[in-house]
Amino acid sequence: MHEAIKKITILPGINKFGEKEKFEKIEIKKGEIVAIVGPTGAGKSQLLYDIEKLAQGDSKSKRIILVNNKRVSKKLRFEPKRKLIASLAQSMNFLTDISVKNFLSLHLKARGKKFDSKLIKEVIKEANEITGEPILPETNLLNLSGGQSRALMISDVANVSISPIILIDEIENAGIDKEKAMQILVEEGKIVLIVTHDPVLAFNTDKRIIVKNGGIVKILKTTLKEKGIGHYFNWIGNYSLEIREKIRKGEEVDEIKLFCEPIK
Amino acid sequence: MKLIIFAGTPGSGKTSIVKHVIEELKNNYKLFFAKFDCLKTEDDKFIAERYKIPTVKKIAGELCPDHYTALEIPKILKENQDKDIIILETAGLCLRCSPYVEEGLGINVLDVTSGNPSRYGPILTDADVVAISKGDLISQAEREIFRANVLIVNKKATLVEVNGLTGEGSTDIIEAIKSSLEIKTKKLTLRHSMPSAICGYCYGNKIIDEAAVQRKYLAGKELKNLVPNLNCGKCGFKSCNEFIRAVLDGKANKDQCPFIKEKLKIK
Repeated sequence: MHEAIKKITILPGINKFGEKEKFEKIEIKKGEIVAIVGPTGAGKSQLLYDIEKLAQGDSKSKRIILVNNKRVSKKLRFEPKRKLIASLAQSMNFLTDISVKNFLSLHLKARGKKFDSKLIKEVIKEANEITGEPILPETNLLNLSGGQSRALMISDVANVSISPIILIDEIENAGIDKEKAMQILVEEGKIVLIVTHDPVLAFNTDKRIIVKNGGIVKILKTTLKEKGIGHYFNWIGNYSLEIREKIRKGEEVDEIKLFCEPIK
Repeated sequence: MKLIIFAGTPGSGKTSIVKHVIEELKNNYKLFFAKFDCLKTEDDKFIAERYKIPTVKKIAGELCPDHYTALEIPKILKENQDKDIIILETAGLCLRCSPYVEEGLGINVLDVTSGNPSRYGPILTDADVVAISKGDLISQAEREIFRANVLIVNKKATLVEVNGLTGEGSTDIIEAIKSSLEIKTKKLTLRHSMPSAICGYCYGNKIIDEAAVQRKYLAGKELKNLVPNLNCGKCGFKSCNEFIRAVLDGKANKDQCPFIKEKLKIK
């Protein structure tokens, strides 16, 4: 076992034109969420890649990623059995024809852990807090809806995956409570980096890294006002989820909620 | 000189990965690219034009593409003594085989959607690097399960997750190539033996019948003892076995082989 990851630090590299990035360092601590924003082709994925590979000045961008203020050994970077980083990509499709419960136990096994029915229950319970349509342990993986798949995957990454750093690349977020999803990830003490332009996700962060022409150009601390705006959008999203469930159940909807609950 | 062999089933993303690797290496190393395929390919031309490196196309035709690769490797090496790195992409049909050599680096490009890794033979189990492709199509959890399953059948491999579209992961492959050993010996050794291919069907028999296979096999064996087995190409065929098949099919005359002609004259 290596020591626990408490913090990662990004040291500047170069942009597409070979110019040095204008920041001293970016520190991201355990339990923090950071958004990465910028136009297509600006270098968002490269930044995720640098973090995923714990780049040591050897990637295109020449950035250096420190873990707990230290350079990272080659052994740790390329160790095949351990992955420090879990990445949630855009697609969350499943291929295995198996029940949710058995799938989770398979994943536990792949992670070198023992069968743990309590943990499996917890994963499903937390997934159900993110999605409107409840997932049952016996549900077949292939029959999950898009929202259910995403919810299950987020809960799985938070609870089963041992990776302390989670990279999320433009996650499809229809059918899930986004704020709740982030909360679950952060509660488990993960470092979360997310490429997104969704107001709920981008404002439900500690800071935003702005990327342009292959380089980091600005770091914005998320303001209280922005957090409020994000919360408002999340409320709208959840309200829409609620109505969606009513439609699914064949109910009539004859009232509209106009006011969002204030931030807790 | 280094010999890097990419193997993997068709559509696993070998060529896409190879392109990214060539792009990164071409300015600092003298490269040569050999593309093996069964029937047809244009990848050699494409790569030569885009990356301005010498390439060759090798079409196996009637031969098992992996056997053919092994037959051709010495020629490729001999003709490219001045190169730093020879990249060879196999046709990648068979899970049973892999023409990896002890002296070079073997890279298996493995499609994450292709089922349980336990069904693969030497193509996976003998590889130094397993490049898992198309991971973006499935969930994080399934990717992790897949990785664990690969490590069950090949404990020593370096696992790399690659994306042929974006080139993600090619840095790790390049790292492995750079740290791989140079070829020092004249003779290379296959990591795993090829499957036995010594029946009448190998000599072109099509009738599914024991006696017919036996007849064709004996007829083939008789010619096999006459040909030099040098694959010299003087008969007009690229290998002795193809020539034998053509003779048995009535499409060629034994005299076309100068060695047989010589032997028949002596008699």
